[in-house]
Amino acid sequence: MSAGMIASRISSSFARWYSIPLLLLIWQAAVASGLLQSRLLPAPGTVWTALIDETGNGALIHHASVTVSRALTGFALATLAGIPFSVAMARSALVRNLFEPIFFIGYPIPKIALFPVFTYIFGIGTPSKIAFTFLECLYPIVVTCYFGFRSVQTRLIWSAQNCGAGRMTILRRVILPAAMPSIFSGLRIALPISIIVVVITEMIGDSVGLGYYITIWSTRFHFANVYAAIIVIGICGMALDQALLAVRCRAVYWQRGES
Amino acid sequence: MRVASRTMQNWLLPVAALAAWETLGAAGALPRYLSTPTAILAALWEIARTGELFTALAASLYRVAAGFVLGTAGGMLAGLAAGMVPAVRHFFDPLVSFLYAIPKVAFLPVLLLLLGLGHASKIALIGFSCFFPVFIASRHAVLSVNKLFVWAAQNMGAPPRAIFFRVIIPGAAPQLFAGFRIALAHAFVVLFAAELIGSKAGLGTIISYAEEWVRFDLMFAGILCFATLGFLGDRLLLAIRWRLLKGQMLGTEELLRQ
Repeated sequence: MSAGMIASRISSSFARWYSIPLLLLIWQAAVASGLLQSRLLPAPGTVWTALIDETGNGALIHHASVTVSRALTGFALATLAGIPFSVAMARSALVRNLFEPIFFIGYPIPKIALFPVFTYIFGIGTPSKIAFTFLECLYPIVVTCYFGFRSVQTRLIWSAQNCGAGRMTILRRVILPAAMPSIFSGLRIALPISIIVVVITEMIGDSVGLGYYITIWSTRFHFANVYAAIIVIGICGMALDQALLAVRCRAVYWQRGES
Repeated sequence: MRVASRTMQNWLLPVAALAAWETLGAAGALPRYLSTPTAILAALWEIARTGELFTALAASLYRVAAGFVLGTAGGMLAGLAAGMVPAVRHFFDPLVSFLYAIPKVAFLPVLLLLLGLGHASKIALIGFSCFFPVFIASRHAVLSVNKLFVWAAQNMGAPPRAIFFRVIIPGAAPQLFAGFRIALAHAFVVLFAAELIGSKAGLGTIISYAEEWVRFDLMFAGILCFATLGFLGDRLLLAIRWRLLKGQMLGTEELLRQ
């Protein structure tokens, strides 16, 4: 690679990513020049120090691990329950007729309204957050996977049957791989929802987790810590999404390159 | 006959659940916080008669409508611009890809201190949340408009304005509506959280007050209203979409009964 190519690559990646450093610079300059004086918006440098300090003393790591583990548990339970359930809905008319209204009419209903009820049933700690995350993730997973399973071409199933494949073999070797891209798009919708829902419910009431951390430091007027926590949430969300994409890349290897 | 049995199966679970709830609740077999459907309806009637319900409904509706319109308009403008102009795209892409993963409710404490407990903080937060899904949908929609159509229009001497309104917007419309729909869902989630965490009016406030007064029937009445509001909002959006673009079902797959 010639020096010119490297330079052009650097400048093109700069052209793509300049906005975040630019805004940070403007922000820092506005605070440093005294143009912007507010406890609500500390300078990026202050936020960075808070981020380093709070990561160093383990507080952010502790709260983040609680939030992420809750989100992932709810998400995993919803995946484990949702995929078999959507297969059942796609393959059996009875199951479909019984549950179609619950999932399709219930889909646009803001389920967050039910969270107070969850706190009564499961208490305000981890179980109610996991149960609620499960519910919120279940809807997109079931609906998206259902369409994936429904749209598997019948002739694929017929030709497998023709070759003498049993029901389980067809499910495992034909239907599941054919629906895999839809399954992953459902999971990719559900994963950020899990993080969002856990943070929101932690803000509503808890004593641990990033949502709690944000609430407690904002009542203490320490907004540098609040922004540090927001950055950590963003990093966790991006990392989880990248991890899911990596899994997808292995599972749906025939569609590599398209995202 | 087949249709009749299918309708029966459709209704079976919801009706059975309601009936079980009512009978078990009336018999005292359920915990007190679950109330009963008749008690919930009575509580709903109670707040409807005193007018409390309509004040709360008006407050919530105003917040969600204003926030949704502002956020959607902003997201659509920025998204369309990003789809058409590479410089705008390069400015917004990194910001959006980072901020999209963050639950916007995390900014609620800052907005509450900045704008107070009234309407403004909720509207700002809802607008902020709606911006991102609409931006992403609009940006992708414009980029996925078939270039041949644009070229054909240019070839026939269409001015840029005509190309924008007659080629790009209609081509992008189905995806735009898919984005609006996601934004509306976000709007209701954020509205609820914001009203529950810091507010003096609205349906979320009815729910949190009812909890404090241990009026579980009232709490469920609030939940019922909120759920209905969200559902009707979605259906209204779909009705508008249906009028504007007949036949294009992208993003509304669950309505297609196969």
